[in-house]
Amino acid sequence: MTDPSDRLKELQEAGLRAISAAASESDLLDAKGKYFGKKGAVSEILKTVAYLPAEEKKRIGGAANEARGALEAAFNARLDEIRERERLAREGSGLLDVTLPGRSASVGHRHPVSRTLSDIVSVFQRLGFSVRLGPEIEKDYYNFEALNIPKDHPARDMQDTFYMDWPEMDLVLRTHTSPIQIRTMEGMRPPVRVIAPGAVYRCDSDVTHSPMFHQVEGFAVDRSVTMADLKGLLTEFCGMMFGPGLPLRFRPSFFPFTEPSAEVDIRCVICRGAGCRVCKDSGWLEILGCGMIDPSVFGFVGYDPEEYTGFAFGMGVERIAMLRHGINDIRLFFENDIRFISQF
Amino acid sequence: MKILYSWLKEFVDTRLSAAEIGDALTMAGVEVSSCRFLGEGFDNVVTAKILAQGPHPNADKLSLCRVTDGSREYPIVCGAKNMQQGDVVALARTGAKLPNGMEIKKAKIRGEVSEGMLCSEMELRLSEESAGIMILPPETELGKPLADAIGLSDWLLEVEITPNRGDCLSVLGVAREVAAITGEKVSVPEAPIRESDLPIGDFASVAVTDADLCPRYSARVISDVTIAPSPDWMQRRLSLCGVRPINNIVDITNYIFLELGQPMHAFDLDRLGGRKIDVKRSGIPRSYVTLDGAAREILPEMLLIWDGEGPVAVAGVMGGQNTEVLPSTRRVLFESAHFAPASIRWTSRRLGLSTESSYRFERGVDPGGTMYAADRAVSLLSRFASFAVARGVFDVGGGTDFSRSVPFRPARAGRILGRECTEEECADVLRRLEFPVRDEGQGRWSVTVPPHRFDIEREIDLVEEVARITGYDKIPTTYPESGAPEFSPDDRFVKITEDASEFLRSQGFTQAINFSFVPEKEWRQYAHMLGFDPSDAMRLTNPISDDTTMMRPHLLMGLLHNLASNLRRFVEDIRLFEAGKAFGKSFTEGHFEEPRLGFVLYGRRLPENWSGGPNALDFFDAKGVAESLLSFLGASPVHFVPTVAKPFLSRGKAAEILKDGECVGWLGAVRRELAAALEIPGAVFYGEIRIGAATRSRPPEAQYRAVPKFPPVIRDIACILSEQVPVGDILSMVSVLAEEIESATVFDIFTGEKIGQGQKSVAIRVKIQPLDRTLTDADVNSIHTKIVNLLENRFGGKIRTS
Repeated sequence: MTDPSDRLKELQEAGLRAISAAASESDLLDAKGKYFGKKGAVSEILKTVAYLPAEEKKRIGGAANEARGALEAAFNARLDEIRERERLAREGSGLLDVTLPGRSASVGHRHPVSRTLSDIVSVFQRLGFSVRLGPEIEKDYYNFEALNIPKDHPARDMQDTFYMDWPEMDLVLRTHTSPIQIRTMEGMRPPVRVIAPGAVYRCDSDVTHSPMFHQVEGFAVDRSVTMADLKGLLTEFCGMMFGPGLPLRFRPSFFPFTEPSAEVDIRCVICRGAGCRVCKDSGWLEILGCGMIDPSVFGFVGYDPEEYTGFAFGMGVERIAMLRHGINDIRLFFENDIRFISQF
Repeated sequence: MKILYSWLKEFVDTRLSAAEIGDALTMAGVEVSSCRFLGEGFDNVVTAKILAQGPHPNADKLSLCRVTDGSREYPIVCGAKNMQQGDVVALARTGAKLPNGMEIKKAKIRGEVSEGMLCSEMELRLSEESAGIMILPPETELGKPLADAIGLSDWLLEVEITPNRGDCLSVLGVAREVAAITGEKVSVPEAPIRESDLPIGDFASVAVTDADLCPRYSARVISDVTIAPSPDWMQRRLSLCGVRPINNIVDITNYIFLELGQPMHAFDLDRLGGRKIDVKRSGIPRSYVTLDGAAREILPEMLLIWDGEGPVAVAGVMGGQNTEVLPSTRRVLFESAHFAPASIRWTSRRLGLSTESSYRFERGVDPGGTMYAADRAVSLLSRFASFAVARGVFDVGGGTDFSRSVPFRPARAGRILGRECTEEECADVLRRLEFPVRDEGQGRWSVTVPPHRFDIEREIDLVEEVARITGYDKIPTTYPESGAPEFSPDDRFVKITEDASEFLRSQGFTQAINFSFVPEKEWRQYAHMLGFDPSDAMRLTNPISDDTTMMRPHLLMGLLHNLASNLRRFVEDIRLFEAGKAFGKSFTEGHFEEPRLGFVLYGRRLPENWSGGPNALDFFDAKGVAESLLSFLGASPVHFVPTVAKPFLSRGKAAEILKDGECVGWLGAVRRELAAALEIPGAVFYGEIRIGAATRSRPPEAQYRAVPKFPPVIRDIACILSEQVPVGDILSMVSVLAEEIESATVFDIFTGEKIGQGQKSVAIRVKIQPLDRTLTDADVNSIHTKIVNLLENRFGGKIRTS
């Protein structure tokens, strides 16, 4: 006589075959009845288990239960399949074409200048700077005088200024966000760590100049702020903005309100230094101006330059956005063509 | 400014190549934007002689030449007329690629073969203009490469000088920089002069009345000179540096000003009335004709050069016609002066006249170098012209020591730069700059700054010298010590604007940025529709165009124009927003500028969709944007009240947004006539939020209330009301009738014959939420009765029973 466990194996295999061959619910129920229903072959074997010796009882009983379990699982799965197929046959497909577009308002686009400005500001906020804003129609005093740019000084030629037609008020459209330095320092004592974004205006218009554009100014004043700190901070910033490890260089320059002053160049992001049209074959791109705050600026706000030192930096947002996105004409930013803005 | 490498080498015999000088200067703050080898593009350009010249048979403006380079003859078609048979010219043979990019090929021009081109100086980039082809000296050897024939194995550096470094606006100035960087020596050429026996006083006299504006006035006088062209080498240098050669006298002054940075003026001595020079202010307003033929309105404070009869030049800015050097000139007084920078700048600005001379004087011309410049001019001129030099010089203010002493502490440099600066290192930099140092003990030095360095007056200026001469790359990168950053109201405002922008973006709006200035002409044209009062306008004195004449009073027009232009580009279903400022005059503060958020909606509510459905935008879409935006920003509750105060919005389709009784914005349908004026067909909806006012008060912290445990009861009440009754008022009053009323909403409104003329049916759904027990029917009915009473008694409604 064959061992009941071998018989069980045979029954399980035959049962599984019958289940997968069943084409309808009634076929399936027949298979169940034959193999593992109350009177099915497996159940019959189970009934005999009680009469076996203890050791055999465990072995054969276990094998029988296992076989019944496997057959039941296969039965349930097959039953689902058959019912689903019958439902579909009865009710039609009911399947959705999930590739059809969803129903909602489409999402709009941020202006690339606004997004870039916002990115710059948030980098500096993470580096511990707090935001200060200032007026766009600015007093000559804040835009020039207090920044060490007296009237009739050649440095005024560096920025072509729009003047407001209201002579007694001595107002200009601010040519840079630097007046916020003065306004901030007038109102607080060091330590100062401020980032100042906003629109600025210069009387100039071509492929790389717009009469209105945006700047971000930053400055810090404390007892021991150094030019090395300025280099460290801006190196960090350029890494966060353009990707880590990007070479940059500081070269001497001139701004009336900082001394020593520097221009910061980054390795050309287009040609990686090989030389191209964008960097005029120099391999470098001028990205921002900076320097140590001139002692005479401290004079205007009542800070003692022997006690405090500070640095300041400023950058053009459009220029950075142009480099980031490969835009070659600044005027595109202000045409507000949705086909342009929606690219970003 | 353009600097020739060969010229620079005359002043500092540097070991650096031109390209190395370019890099070194750039990294020391004198930016070299380009460095061009002049011989570039001269391959296949050789010297050649014109054998014959005749007319082109088929073109009046062309001529036909036969030229030879000594070994071969070439037929050439040429458009210039300034050459003759026998002239030596520059021949670009076929295959040449000229500096201006032109490639020379064998060609047939109007039927005649041309095997090359005769070049002009402009085509060879030897000068910025040229009247015809280049004619070389007749003795020039033929067939020689042009670069060798005219000595062009040289480099031209383009140098950008910042406004503080007027001293670098010359070959000498740049040479000093090179020397300071490399540690090499500047060598200034000797200026030997053989003087005649006739003392200068016999020729002329010089006085300076207003010495405050003219601290030094030096002059030399020469006689028996013949006006003639300068030698080729000088003309070439001038041309390459962008100065047009004129004659030997004018050229020598220009040469000196390029070389030494000293603007000079040559007066025809015989045209100077009384042969006298005085330097003094105008004293009265007057009109004076300058060299360029323009009559200038001279103000009393302006400094003039006078002769015995009247003004002969606007000092440091431009000479006058009445004393300029003419072909007949025989005796010349060379002026070499120092004028006060601020005075020159003021004069130049007020006259609207900026010249090479004023440009240099206002940045500072070395008062210590005026006499040398005059001597150098006369000495150099004597190499190629014959004349007699009067004995002696005029040199008013010549005995003055113009140098200054500036205190300096090496330790201070270290503190600013964030690196150790040793005394030896600082001393070395100052020695290279030729600034003598005196040690005053305790780390304090006194540094003598030569007069040409106008930018150095304070200790910090010397710190900068140490930093840039040793190189910024020597400064380490450290990270600033962290002060405690505080969160300012501006941080909050920037975050609110950013949140609002992102919210609107998620609602399908695309962000626009328009110029803050707008054309006043257009605002005046539509003033009645824009609510524009010209007396409130903030105008620009010097707008860049007619489209940018005043600051915008609100944001609508920019967005409408954006809408119109996008429609013209076939964009559909447009939603735009802009975060920017509005400007105007105000009673209290003179003027105001206020951050605003404007948004415009046009087209369909949802983009065209396969599931279809009616889809036209209406007022309530715009209102929904404003409501949800303000709620998102924590600026609710707000109220919407009908308004007629915004004429750009359609009457009856316009609302103001009130928050705590203050108007924080407005919205509605844009007036049809206004949209039509910009060729926008159909309905446009617009809203503008005064974002600062709307978010001024921080929303209070939300306070916890127990979440209801009992089931709510919903009651629907329909009511017929006059069309005039604002439903918003009903809802707000209903919702406060009883503590248990959680919300009141409208779920249906209709009008029609059944309801009656001037009436509307409004169906309100009230959600009654018990707080601490299940409501009884009696409780609910009592609330229901209160609502019915309100509707009937307060709003004159008639309850509908179904």
